[in-house]
Amino acid sequence: MTDQTAPEISNTHAKAGYWTRVARDGQKMGFWFVLPTLLLLVFIVVFPLLMQLYLSFTWWTPLEGIPWYQAWEVFNWGENYWYMVTDPRFWGALWRTVLIMIVAVPAQFFLGMALAYLFIDQFPGRKLFYSIMLTPMMIVPAVVGLMFFLLFQGTGPINDHLGLPPEFSWLTDVNRAMISVIIADIWQWTPLMFLILLAGMLGVPSDQLLAARLLGGSNWQNFVKIILPRMKTVIIIALVLRAVECFKIFDLVFIMTNGGPGVQTETISVFLYNQTFGELEWAYVATMGLSILIALSMLAMKGLSLMAKK
Amino acid sequence: MALKYFFVLLACAVVLYPLLWMVTMAFKPHPEWTTVAGLTWFPENPTLQNFEFIFFGRAEGLVVSLDRTIVGPLIASLVTSIMGTLVAVVCGTLSSYAVVRFGLAQSLPLSVLQLRLFPPLAVMIPVMVMWSFLGAVDTWWGLSLIYGIVTLPFAFWLMKTFFEEVPVEIEDAARVAGCSYWRVFYRITLPIVKPGLATCALFVFILNWSDYLLALLLTQRDWVTLPVYMATLTSAMGGQMYGMKAALGVIAAIPPVIFGLMIQKHLVRGLTFGALKQ
Repeated sequence: MTDQTAPEISNTHAKAGYWTRVARDGQKMGFWFVLPTLLLLVFIVVFPLLMQLYLSFTWWTPLEGIPWYQAWEVFNWGENYWYMVTDPRFWGALWRTVLIMIVAVPAQFFLGMALAYLFIDQFPGRKLFYSIMLTPMMIVPAVVGLMFFLLFQGTGPINDHLGLPPEFSWLTDVNRAMISVIIADIWQWTPLMFLILLAGMLGVPSDQLLAARLLGGSNWQNFVKIILPRMKTVIIIALVLRAVECFKIFDLVFIMTNGGPGVQTETISVFLYNQTFGELEWAYVATMGLSILIALSMLAMKGLSLMAKK
Repeated sequence: MALKYFFVLLACAVVLYPLLWMVTMAFKPHPEWTTVAGLTWFPENPTLQNFEFIFFGRAEGLVVSLDRTIVGPLIASLVTSIMGTLVAVVCGTLSSYAVVRFGLAQSLPLSVLQLRLFPPLAVMIPVMVMWSFLGAVDTWWGLSLIYGIVTLPFAFWLMKTFFEEVPVEIEDAARVAGCSYWRVFYRITLPIVKPGLATCALFVFILNWSDYLLALLLTQRDWVTLPVYMATLTSAMGGQMYGMKAALGVIAAIPPVIFGLMIQKHLVRGLTFGALKQ
């Protein structure tokens, strides 16, 4: 029996169509494997985008009394877009988001870089300190918001250390509220920079570093001439990641100040939230959301094409 | 060397300072919550009153009581985070395998990544309209579904890097021996990437557990998660329940920190979408 079956198998294998059939089976299974993700993407991207585009040309709000698909009854020929362009609150929120980004991200970068440089060599207790350094970024952002909310109370420990009276407020002060939010963001996300930059630094070939040291390069020279050029990709990745995430900042701000005092710390996400639930201007929020999506996509495409060139 | 230790210790002190304040506050009785009667770093009269209060809705010696305890939100957080993780990991694993092995849907990696680029609030209006149309607002499956979608990019890219590390020769060998594609995937490849799969699941779980915004938008009462519950506790009580809030914060913070330290080795890979490895 075995003698008979064995050649049969090799015979089928020898047939010209066998591997193509096998490959086709693979493709077939691959198709089923991709399908759920594709469906989810269509479900969450294509359809909502169309709906958003549609709603952005109407006055529709959930209070309108008509379902969203009948929103054409309150069609307004793009007045939302004009309103957005001339809305100082929108531009203010955008500016504050960018402000947080251009202050917090570089601060995180330099602090992270310095910390990573401290951790480049082995030293007793390194593993423990390393774990401690990573904790902030694992804590739920909302809880970080709470932590700094507690710290920055008038009767909290910060004022006590600095010898300031309880009337000296942080979170309800026009200027200091923003500073508090930025400090909290730096506290939480410096570890991320540290983690990524350290990984990049450890990826620098140690023999090159050793050679430079033997040749008498100072620490600073070694850092600038040997380490930095080899970390270029890592640095770009770290900065882009943080910038993208920072643009979305919501939890910290919302819990610490709720955008206040007034609109002094209102970032774009907080503004969209307030418009959604405070003002119930859903069509207007759709307009702004869509505009932000388009702007960010264009930025991303530009960035990707720049990266592809290199 | 001494200078190095000085800076390292300084950095650790800065990291631990806010944490310590919250953790100790969770064990402090009411008079020690603020510095009005002097600053106390460690509770002078340690108490479990705060925890008792959030778990049972009242505590001995406190006049106020809660109509909602932590139990509901805790369960909601667990259920939605776990189910969301399941959705993300299953879809991400399957599709990344198809992309890596069969070269299907070559544009998928980038389009998935784009999901991560946008602020969730910029697409929330249609999602909220859809969710209420589907009756998914304030349900466990509605929140799980959006969690799964939002964390799918991480699962996809993480699993992609793990699959790329599996030598194709092993699979070919199994295939030549007569295994079907499904069998090869299920019996050969999946066991090889099992540690990666576990890492991926923990990583995605942390992300889901950490969410605040989506739960805020898509739940109202029954499936409110821990962070949202924590924030509502603030407003409902005039923001003076610091100790209880701190206790809640501690409870919410523990799982991700433990899991995060467990997968420390793979954090870089996960956070950079597999672009960097440690």
